[in-house]
Amino acid sequence: MNFSDETVMAYADGELDAATRAALEAAMALDAQLAQRVARHRALRGRLRAALDPVLDEPLPERLLASVRGAPAPPHAADVIALKRKAVPRWSWPQWGAIAASLVGGALLGPLLLRAPADGALVSRDGQVPASGALARALTGQLASSQPPGAPVQIGVSFRAGNGDYCRTFVLRGTSALAGLACRGQEAWRLEVLAQNPAQPAAAAGYRPAGSALPTSVARTLDELIAGEPLDAGAEAAARERGWQPITRGKTPPGAPAPPGPPRDPDH
Amino acid sequence: MEENGSHERNAGIDVRASPQELGEGLVTLLPRLRRFARALTRDAHDADDLVQIAVERALTRAGQLRPDAPLSSWMFGIVRNAWLDELRARGRRARLFAPAESGEQVGDASQGAHADLLAVQDALARLPEEQRAAVALVLIEGLSYKEAAYIMEVPIGTLTSRLARGREALQEMLGETSGALP
Repeated sequence: MNFSDETVMAYADGELDAATRAALEAAMALDAQLAQRVARHRALRGRLRAALDPVLDEPLPERLLASVRGAPAPPHAADVIALKRKAVPRWSWPQWGAIAASLVGGALLGPLLLRAPADGALVSRDGQVPASGALARALTGQLASSQPPGAPVQIGVSFRAGNGDYCRTFVLRGTSALAGLACRGQEAWRLEVLAQNPAQPAAAAGYRPAGSALPTSVARTLDELIAGEPLDAGAEAAARERGWQPITRGKTPPGAPAPPGPPRDPDH
Repeated sequence: MEENGSHERNAGIDVRASPQELGEGLVTLLPRLRRFARALTRDAHDADDLVQIAVERALTRAGQLRPDAPLSSWMFGIVRNAWLDELRARGRRARLFAPAESGEQVGDASQGAHADLLAVQDALARLPEEQRAAVALVLIEGLSYKEAAYIMEVPIGTLTSRLARGREALQEMLGETSGALP
């Protein structure tokens, strides 16, 4: 009698009905190969359990117990992986001002600094704070694929946002690093978010920030904005050629009748 | 004098429980949730993050807990969905940022039990997500096919074929030594 792999597996998992189980057991007594197939399944289960069961005996982390009690979790050390809800380290306000101003220029950040950061990041989603100076130059001219390693601004990735605008992530180098994300409006770059970069600023030249090292607020903003995939090197260069202006879909040629409906409404 | 339901001792909590009782049920489940999360994520910090997210979600959605479903199934489902959310976000970020991630953390451990844990976790990590979840729920958490299918929101036939494929792949990766170890 032949038993399919799934039947043998189900037997090893205790999932067979009584009749099939009895038939298989009878066959197993005569068929060493069948018995071996069952043994293989059981051995695998045993090995997985042996590897993972010790987790059961580990002391429960305090933060998990706290979360069960509904208490706010204390931040924990080795905060490397950007799972979404991890807290961004808070910086004091004067630190922010000094660092940001020294890196990008007071003129740029002046209006921004009037706003208190909600989560340690300087979010300007409603404020439309234009980026200027060295940052704007890098955003406009620098390609991620060929940027000078020592440049004060390192571009991360470029992508299209849901509204069609081009956006780019960047890291500002200095005594401490800031990372952010800017999107190109019609006339200027606007900062969507700026936050302390947890990556070591002392990292070697040419270092590209791993996604896991981006400040949570920047990663989250990116997640919110991005539509589709990031630009590859070719698309990045092409976008720079166009001055980072969105490709206007279905643009009305001069003289043609205006399409019904609001002009900026995407039709899908 | 056996009381009822010892087979569901982690699960047999009255789901219309007060917040306090729900909390107690969650504390009882924490070790298993951590083990499940560890099988899904490989990384201990990620695993605990995942459990924490799941607990927070559970507390805010206590009203959705169905009276006929065990708390454990509900929680495993929340952990898994949180992990799928994280994978989506992470996949996007990984494509966005870093070539640097590959190859840095491959096991250099030499101690027996720990090395075996790493070998198993590496093998699990190489499975497609749906196979990994099936293996973790059935082989590690010891759930029935029916429970596992319920948690993964798939028909039982889908669950068993994922389980079979995951098993086959694991056996190949971990070698035939699995049964022959001293």
